[in-house]
Amino acid sequence: MAGLSLDVSGLSVTGSGGRVLLQPASFQVRAGEAVGILGPSGAGKSTLLYALAGLQPKVTGVINWGGQDIACLSDAERARFRRNHVGMVFQDFLLFEELTALGNAALTTAFSPRKDLAPIRSRAAALLERLGLPHSKRNVDSFSGGERQRVAIARALANDPDIILADEPTASLDRAAADRLIGDLITLARSEGKTLIAVSHDRHLLDRMDRSLQVADGQLVEPSHA
Amino acid sequence: MPDIFLDLWQDLAPGTQDALILVLLLLPAILIGLFVTAGYRPLALVRSLLWRYRWTNLMFVALIAVSVGLGVGLTAQERGLRQGTARAAEKFDLIVSASGSEITMLFAAVYLQPSDVPLLDGAAYDRIAKADNVQLAAPIAFGDSYEGAPVVGTTPQFVEHLSGALTEGRMFARSGEAVAGASVDLPVGAEFVPAHGSGEGADHEAHAGAKTRITGKMAATGSPWDKAILVPVEAVWEVHGLSNGHAPERAEQIGPPFDPEYFPGTPAVLVRAEALWANYALKSEFTTDKTMAFFPGAVLARLHSLMGDIRQVMSLMAVVTQVLVTAGVLTGLVVLVRLFSRRLALLRALGAPRRFVFAVVWSYAAVLIAAGALLGLAAGFAASGIISAEISRRTDILVQASLSWPEFHLIAGFVSLTVFLALLPALLSLNRPVIPDLRS
Repeated sequence: MAGLSLDVSGLSVTGSGGRVLLQPASFQVRAGEAVGILGPSGAGKSTLLYALAGLQPKVTGVINWGGQDIACLSDAERARFRRNHVGMVFQDFLLFEELTALGNAALTTAFSPRKDLAPIRSRAAALLERLGLPHSKRNVDSFSGGERQRVAIARALANDPDIILADEPTASLDRAAADRLIGDLITLARSEGKTLIAVSHDRHLLDRMDRSLQVADGQLVEPSHA
Repeated sequence: MPDIFLDLWQDLAPGTQDALILVLLLLPAILIGLFVTAGYRPLALVRSLLWRYRWTNLMFVALIAVSVGLGVGLTAQERGLRQGTARAAEKFDLIVSASGSEITMLFAAVYLQPSDVPLLDGAAYDRIAKADNVQLAAPIAFGDSYEGAPVVGTTPQFVEHLSGALTEGRMFARSGEAVAGASVDLPVGAEFVPAHGSGEGADHEAHAGAKTRITGKMAATGSPWDKAILVPVEAVWEVHGLSNGHAPERAEQIGPPFDPEYFPGTPAVLVRAEALWANYALKSEFTTDKTMAFFPGAVLARLHSLMGDIRQVMSLMAVVTQVLVTAGVLTGLVVLVRLFSRRLALLRALGAPRRFVFAVVWSYAAVLIAAGALLGLAAGFAASGIISAEISRRTDILVQASLSWPEFHLIAGFVSLTVFLALLPALLSLNRPVIPDLRS
């Protein structure tokens, strides 16, 4: 699938007790564009990312992905949207340690329709191979941090989503592993035309993005084009 | 229930009825499982969770197994004991004794428990032996022992009736000969001197001259008689300085007929009638002011009926224990779900439907419950075997507690109830917030 465009308008997020986590923000992302989100810790970067994924519960405004405003969808509909359109990568991999690399990469087969099982599994296997992880039958508990995050990338892409959302994907890796991961992530996203949005403090990653958005104190302060 | 279904049900073989009850009891669990997991494949993730928290899971399984094992063991043991005591009394159709307590006499004559009971005289014995339709009327005499084994005096005909053909050797034919019960540790040819009395108070010198030789071995009967040494009743009377039941000119005779005037008395006469119906006539005939006649089976049935109330209390206790353990386990599961809440949040973030997350948690709980129930079944079976062997060893009543339909029904009911209750922790897991769990 090619990437989806994003049109965010007046997006604000409130937390428990009515505390405002993200002030109203508006921005656009083109389909296939790679956008970084940077800012100090606690500024609201991840809150923005999770809102874009449809995971934030108290959201107002418009989050329009390719013509579909997910802010007004039900919980089940947002889950279906993520299942069909979004791949997510997390800071500390979030793998099932007792499963094989392939088992993790093809994790969504556990709840996907039967017709999608074979395509997801074969794509997961191909992605692992492409990411330099040929031992897909090995349990990931024996993998290094870099290898684990590459498994997580394979998982994010296995069901061929339009969008990749990454939350600090290099934060748990050493420099060499982080650089390799950045290369893999950007290359895969660009080659497959995915829309990539990544929250990161990592300059090496942000430098490879098309542009970056800056968040500070719950506000989108510097939407800028690279 | 309409009569047609009732008739159909009653036409079924008992085994088929039990199998159907088992299926019906398991059906809720199966239906819940099919409904909850329909369209999903949660087992790989469940396996992963089971392995990751294996020690905690093992503890949960062990808790369930102990509670199930207790329930299964209690019911199986109680039934085994009931069947064992009934089996031990099987060969004792009718007992006639002096008036007194049927239970005391039952314990003395069938289970060879020492007790002081009044004796029937020769005239009474003679009336019994000569009554219509009496096939066998065996006097018994006890009070001696050898190394813990009671030495019981009776007739060769009763020994044959009790155990059938000997497994080894021959029947005793005179005083000074004995047939050993199947569990007596004396080989054919061994000699011993019986002690007067039994237990620690036994007098080992009282019968110093009464050396007795084992001439044969009885087949196992599953009763305390397996641990007894059977001698001619005449021998018991003789060593106690009494006449031996026969006139002097027939002093060497072993077994009936006995002469009433030389009959020293017997605590009980074990009677077998030629036909079943005749037992009732004999019982009626010898239920008098001075004698009582009773069916050991009927006395046992009354005892078992009395124990039935205790059984119900024990069963209730077993169920309460299971419910308490289950409640504890389910509470534990709610806590345990928090341990892997991050993984559940990941599934939600990847777009898994809430019902899939529900299916993972429920399947996880169901596997623990099923494993605990199966392990409990095995534990109950093993414990029953061990306890049965110990009871058999101590009482010489062959208790064979084995698992049967009631235990399978109990477990099926337990599994269905608990997997139904496991819907609760699964439901609670859906209320967890995704983002805080992802970041935890």
